[in-house]
Amino acid sequence: MDERLKNALDFSNYRQTLAAQRRSLNEKMQAKLTYGHNGGIFKIDRSLLTFVWSLCAGHRTADIVLLDQNDNPILIEDLEKFKTEIFDRYFSVTLEYHKEYDKIKKSRSVEKLVDYE
Amino acid sequence: MNKGIVILAHNNRKVDYSRMALIAAKFAGKNLGVPVSLITDDETIQWMQKSQIWKEAESIFDQIITTERPDTDNQRILYDGNDHDRVPFLNSNRSVIWHHTPYERSLLIDSDFLICSDNLNNYWDIDEDILISGGFNDIQGDRSGVLDRWVSETGTHLYWATAVMFTKNEKSKIFFQLVDYIRENYKYYADLFRFKSDQYRNDISFSVAKHILDGFEKSQISLPGVFTVQDKDILEKINDDERMIFLIKSSIDTESFYLVSIKDRDVHIMNKQSIIRHYERLMSL
Repeated sequence: MDERLKNALDFSNYRQTLAAQRRSLNEKMQAKLTYGHNGGIFKIDRSLLTFVWSLCAGHRTADIVLLDQNDNPILIEDLEKFKTEIFDRYFSVTLEYHKEYDKIKKSRSVEKLVDYE
Repeated sequence: MNKGIVILAHNNRKVDYSRMALIAAKFAGKNLGVPVSLITDDETIQWMQKSQIWKEAESIFDQIITTERPDTDNQRILYDGNDHDRVPFLNSNRSVIWHHTPYERSLLIDSDFLICSDNLNNYWDIDEDILISGGFNDIQGDRSGVLDRWVSETGTHLYWATAVMFTKNEKSKIFFQLVDYIRENYKYYADLFRFKSDQYRNDISFSVAKHILDGFEKSQISLPGVFTVQDKDILEKINDDERMIFLIKSSIDTESFYLVSIKDRDVHIMNKQSIIRHYERLMSL
């Protein structure tokens, strides 16, 4: 095989792995940002975080109804506790995402991308 | 409400489902922290005893429950990378789960579904009697077709019965009875929903049953889509930190593979032989 074509195919192979690793990492992060509470299921995103933060800032913290990701009304008895839990989850998951994403970004071979020991 | 996981496993001449069930149980128990029970048949139990995995089974499973071995003339082609084989498929008795599960809230999983995260713990308390995986999510991203999302080109939404969570009550009993009824009248429902009837698929029976019981509406809530590594892909290696490395069949050049690794993700590994090849390694983690 021509050296130029071989190099191009090797690089293409690397890009395929890179794209799959990035996609899988993003999906893992999204799954970890799913949060079950009191029979509801919430997606922890900026909108939920901001809304909960503003309710707490306005001292509305007891018996609050939030709509979950399926638009079902879910009673949150202690919103301060809920806020702590979703913020903790958000920060730990995004920090892990950042670390793993950074590692992928710096990996220049397929072996390093997939952690082939 | 007590909760736990149930796995159904019936060995056939070609595939050792009991070994796969042991691996699936080990991962599920460790990552979800709930007991796991096996529902199987006498022949499979005898095989487990002969092949020296019975002690391991007794220590991993909360309960080992016997049921009748289903009759089948259902066959399917299973790939193992580039190789393939036609194998018997004993999948016609899913509804026995409702009767046999020792738990009030159960998560039924396929023996080729490895739970490597605690994500499904979010769903135990959801106020829904039956939750099924809402879709199919291919590791490569672009290999899913219309029939991975719908029961047919003109049919209803396809759920994946790879993972099903249910509360043991009258409603779920009706659901499993309906699944059984659809299986017994598969040809009729194939005509009605325009799917192929030559091979029985639980995913289709579960989807049609759910469609009917949801009042012919798409359900709002489901379990996460099943992250899937297809049977033409190969589980190549497992690192000490449980990272799994796969050879993925390229969709561009069908003769070549490329590498992808995953960690902390629940994964449906359709290449059963490649799971079994790594039995010792997976059980040692």
